[in-house]
Amino acid sequence: MKLNTRINGRDLCLEIKPNATLLETLRQAGFKSVKFGCGEGMCGACAVLVDGKPRTSCITLAGTVEGSEILTVEGMGNPDQPHALQQAFVDAGATQCGYCNPGSLIAAKALLDSNPNPTAEDVKDALDGNLCRCSGYVKRIEAVLSAADSTASTTGQKKSTRGKK
Amino acid sequence: MLKKLTRFYHPKTIEEACQFLGNGEGRTAVIAGGTSAALRADSSLEALVDISHISELNYINKDAAFYRIGACTRVQDIYKSPDLKGPAGKLLQAAAGKIGSTLLRNAITAGGNLAGLFPWSDLPVAYMALDAEVVCRRGRPKRTVPVMSLIETRAPQFLAANEIIAEIIVPAYGPGTGTAFAKLAKTANDYALISLAVRLTLKDGAVNQARIAVNAITAQPVRCLDAEKLLEGKVLTEELTAEAANKAADSLNIRKDIRAGEEYRREVFVVMVRRALNEAFENANRKGGQQ
Repeated sequence: MKLNTRINGRDLCLEIKPNATLLETLRQAGFKSVKFGCGEGMCGACAVLVDGKPRTSCITLAGTVEGSEILTVEGMGNPDQPHALQQAFVDAGATQCGYCNPGSLIAAKALLDSNPNPTAEDVKDALDGNLCRCSGYVKRIEAVLSAADSTASTTGQKKSTRGKK
Repeated sequence: MLKKLTRFYHPKTIEEACQFLGNGEGRTAVIAGGTSAALRADSSLEALVDISHISELNYINKDAAFYRIGACTRVQDIYKSPDLKGPAGKLLQAAAGKIGSTLLRNAITAGGNLAGLFPWSDLPVAYMALDAEVVCRRGRPKRTVPVMSLIETRAPQFLAANEIIAEIIVPAYGPGTGTAFAKLAKTANDYALISLAVRLTLKDGAVNQARIAVNAITAQPVRCLDAEKLLEGKVLTEELTAEAANKAADSLNIRKDIRAGEEYRREVFVVMVRRALNEAFENANRKGGQQ
């Protein structure tokens, strides 16, 4: 079966099995930032953006994202040019074993896209589906808040503007 | 998992979706959020009709008296909607916000919570407490049914082969009505042990209409009719809420599983009902209505 999607800004036509999950499909296509965790949608390690919304790719059938736009961490930034969130995670030490980071970054990006000036409560709410076995929950909240501050200062947005994406 | 699946259909309209479902070629099912493990484990399915990209199924509208919610509206959109207000809107948002996590709420849909009805589904109790109605479509023809009849018969039996849930209609209610939602679970993301929605509509200070809808503690969503009847026509007092809460618990066939036993659930349930009734009553008496 053919699957037409746009992944990280590139239009791709992938050959998939009809019962393939989005997680399998993305990893086989080389997007290894997408992690297999629990396989039942509870841990969030496999989160990707589907049309701008963070979803668990492990229980999403690939056939249901036909025509959709997918974003994985590979599409956010790279070691030379990290996304503000990636840099903030490094700076805040919001990583231990690192397995939950891709999913957490994706969920955090979705939050900042829709709400550039979140409160700590907003961050907790947005990352509620991303479990961290190392229990590094506090530092990632700090990381998202500082990333929000740094993007706000570079784009000259005031703290009070609550813009839409 | 889905070993026999050979094809996906991606209809753009409701009528197209119903055609794909009714064309009688092999075992076909609807998929929207796709979070149902039962659906993904089904080895007899040959085709899936993906209705999640049908824009005429994805909306939250309000007219003078009703909220209309498209069946494929993600529960995250309900949770975050600025358009849902008042006792009905707040109850829907409270229930939607307690479903799973952000990642799951972006998949789970308003109609899917009714079509794939599980003991831990949180939205059905809110629909029931609000006396919601469901619009079912077979292509162009449609029927509007009380949400309770869909729940009691269960969607797979209730709906014809080429029929889908298209819309949920929720009366908006105004000042004088108060609602409350409560959920008990081991963690914020875990399946509900108890899911509870309450609505009190007052008239001259007394309860005119009471709704107590529960799920998770029971095998399927039910209303506590005895307790509702006890409350109606009376002014809420401490003794009355306590009596109603006990009556509500007595009327249930309480489920037990590895997460919690029957006694524990019952004991917590009585407290939850009492508090929810008080909360709904307070909300109903709020000046300017529940916001």
